[in-house]
Amino acid sequence: MLGIWIGKLVTWLLRMRGMDATSFPGKIALKVSPRLIAWFGKRLERVIVVTGTNGKTTTTSLLAAMMQHEEPVITNHKGANLVQGIATAFLQHTSWTGRLRAKTAVLEVDEATFPRIADSLPIVLIIVTNVFRDQLDRYGELDVTVEKLFTAIRKTDACLVLNADDPICRNLGLRASRKTFYYGMSRDTARTGLRRQMRDGQFCMNCGHELTYDGFWYGQLGLYRCPACDFSRPHPEFIGVYRGKSLTLREQEVPDIELTMPVQGLYNAYNVLAAASGARVAGLWAGPIHEGLADYNPPDGRMQTFDTAAPVTLNLVKNPTGCDSVIQAITSEPGQKLVVIGINDLAADGRDVSWLWDADFELFAEDEEIVSFITSGFRAEDMALRLKYAGVDTSRIRIIEDMDEAVAAAIESAKHQHVPVFAICTYTLLHKTVHNLTAKARENERANAEYRASVS
Amino acid sequence: MSERTLNIAHLYPDLLNLYADRGNILTLVQRLRWRGIEAVVHEVTHHDQPRLAAYDLVLLGGGSDREQEIVGAYLAKHKDEFARAIANGLPVLAICGGYQLLGAYYQLPDGRKIPGLDVLDMYTSAGTGLPRLIGNVAIETEYGIVLGFENHGGRTVHHHEPLGKVLHGHGNDGESGFEGVHHMNVWGTYIHGPLLPKNPQFADAVLATALAYAGHSPELEPLADDTEALARRAFLSRRMPDVNLSHLTNDSTTEHAKTTQQPS
Repeated sequence: MLGIWIGKLVTWLLRMRGMDATSFPGKIALKVSPRLIAWFGKRLERVIVVTGTNGKTTTTSLLAAMMQHEEPVITNHKGANLVQGIATAFLQHTSWTGRLRAKTAVLEVDEATFPRIADSLPIVLIIVTNVFRDQLDRYGELDVTVEKLFTAIRKTDACLVLNADDPICRNLGLRASRKTFYYGMSRDTARTGLRRQMRDGQFCMNCGHELTYDGFWYGQLGLYRCPACDFSRPHPEFIGVYRGKSLTLREQEVPDIELTMPVQGLYNAYNVLAAASGARVAGLWAGPIHEGLADYNPPDGRMQTFDTAAPVTLNLVKNPTGCDSVIQAITSEPGQKLVVIGINDLAADGRDVSWLWDADFELFAEDEEIVSFITSGFRAEDMALRLKYAGVDTSRIRIIEDMDEAVAAAIESAKHQHVPVFAICTYTLLHKTVHNLTAKARENERANAEYRASVS
Repeated sequence: MSERTLNIAHLYPDLLNLYADRGNILTLVQRLRWRGIEAVVHEVTHHDQPRLAAYDLVLLGGGSDREQEIVGAYLAKHKDEFARAIANGLPVLAICGGYQLLGAYYQLPDGRKIPGLDVLDMYTSAGTGLPRLIGNVAIETEYGIVLGFENHGGRTVHHHEPLGKVLHGHGNDGESGFEGVHHMNVWGTYIHGPLLPKNPQFADAVLATALAYAGHSPELEPLADDTEALARRAFLSRRMPDVNLSHLTNDSTTEHAKTTQQPS
């Protein structure tokens, strides 16, 4: 109890000073009461854990929003996914007398943290979004992550909800030997092509042979099989058919559910599919799933759409890894498009723009559906140079230093070509661009209203 | 179109790729390809044995202190081989951590010394309590202005010709007014950003040297470097306005841009 009081006191003090209290109160409370998580665990009925490399935060928010429509739910917001963040989430839902105000928790848990809390909580469901390789995996870091997840899963009696399209998730599912539900994208939406196979060469975790892909979504997510053993993508229980603005959830013996995507992009379609599948396994019907999606407010610059004269989708980029998933999301969008890239080099963006050369702009160069590029920001010319060396013909690149002007020019030419605009920008360009686009969308709405009025 | 082929070795890309050295390799490969010259890139990881005799150009990039220590240990095994190849004229482009590894040692802030290849009369010391040297940098060299970004704790002292004279930024040690090293066919520099995309004249000088070393004609037909020239001009005027623009007017990169066309 002492830990709880101290934790709540710290929360109160931080809030009084207008400070962020998503992790620190839990950290202090855990110092006083190291077994705090287990103490909460005894007072909860069920816990759903969301873990994996990418999409944890969005999937957790979506699932918690869906569950909220059935009963009160404890959740750790804003990606505070370490032990202290989880303790803080519990503290916020506890009275001064130590009574928890909810019996269900939906928690985002960092892969490395998971084994440390797995046996302290009544975990009934574990959702693994994906396990992505990155540069570190050459030193065995990826295997360490997979082993941590496996260790954590074994400490629970939970059912699993896994991404069928990810061979590493499939491997986890096979080894965990328990009730497992898979979700995956509809086969006919996969892209074919050899190049990606070369880029993301994946090896069978059963026998070590290189996997063969019949189709890809992004990264290692695809229709994989091992030519040497019987390892292959399972047939998913929950199938997603992604069409930009909507995602159809297909389930055997149940009518299809047409879900409205609160935020676009293939990687978000995976998040929506993961959350909806988790909600289904947890016993939710279509109503709260729809309502949860409608409640979700994505942060600025995450596939944020604006109904301008030509529609604009805006994305924030901060580092090469994040930039790669944005590039992949944009190239995965069907149809032709115009791309605007704004790069600033102020302190909050990072003064060194070397990272542009680590990001995979070659994917843009290979996408024949991109009609043209506009580069902008204080480093507009550096970005143009990056595209040139990626293989984009310089005649397809325009440089407009001012981001507002660049966006206006993009909308103007996209309108005539009847294509959407996809904009990318670094941090210090984000807020003014959101502001500018919001005003432009309002203008557009007014113009349309006047047009309709004059027609009638 | 051409029988010229260049073998480029990228040493330890798995350990030394802190500042987008991939961009340097890409620049070398593309500038060859646009001229119809084939480039073969050998990615030499820490699992492989470097085979210096098979390379026409070696690129050594930058890494963290820890990674540099690991690379130092691998390179130590090939010290004599490197010394012989460099004396024989092997072109080597070494950036940041790679630059430091060319010297006798790199002394860490805690006093420990990472031994280097010792192919140059040079050493680097991080000193104690000294600030890192970070920021945009421009230097005057025989290849025109070379510009980019520097970010290093080490202070490098050597007894060779520098790569250039500092016009803006810190350079080798923040005091001498010189940046980098140029000895035989070895270039060392702290400049990244990455180095080569925005310094096409320097990139071409490295390529010409490597072609000659490979026994080919070093002739390189000019390319349309308009975008490069724009990026150089914009970077200088926005971020280093103190660098005299007259330097840039003498910069023949812009001349190229005006007078030549990109081959199809």
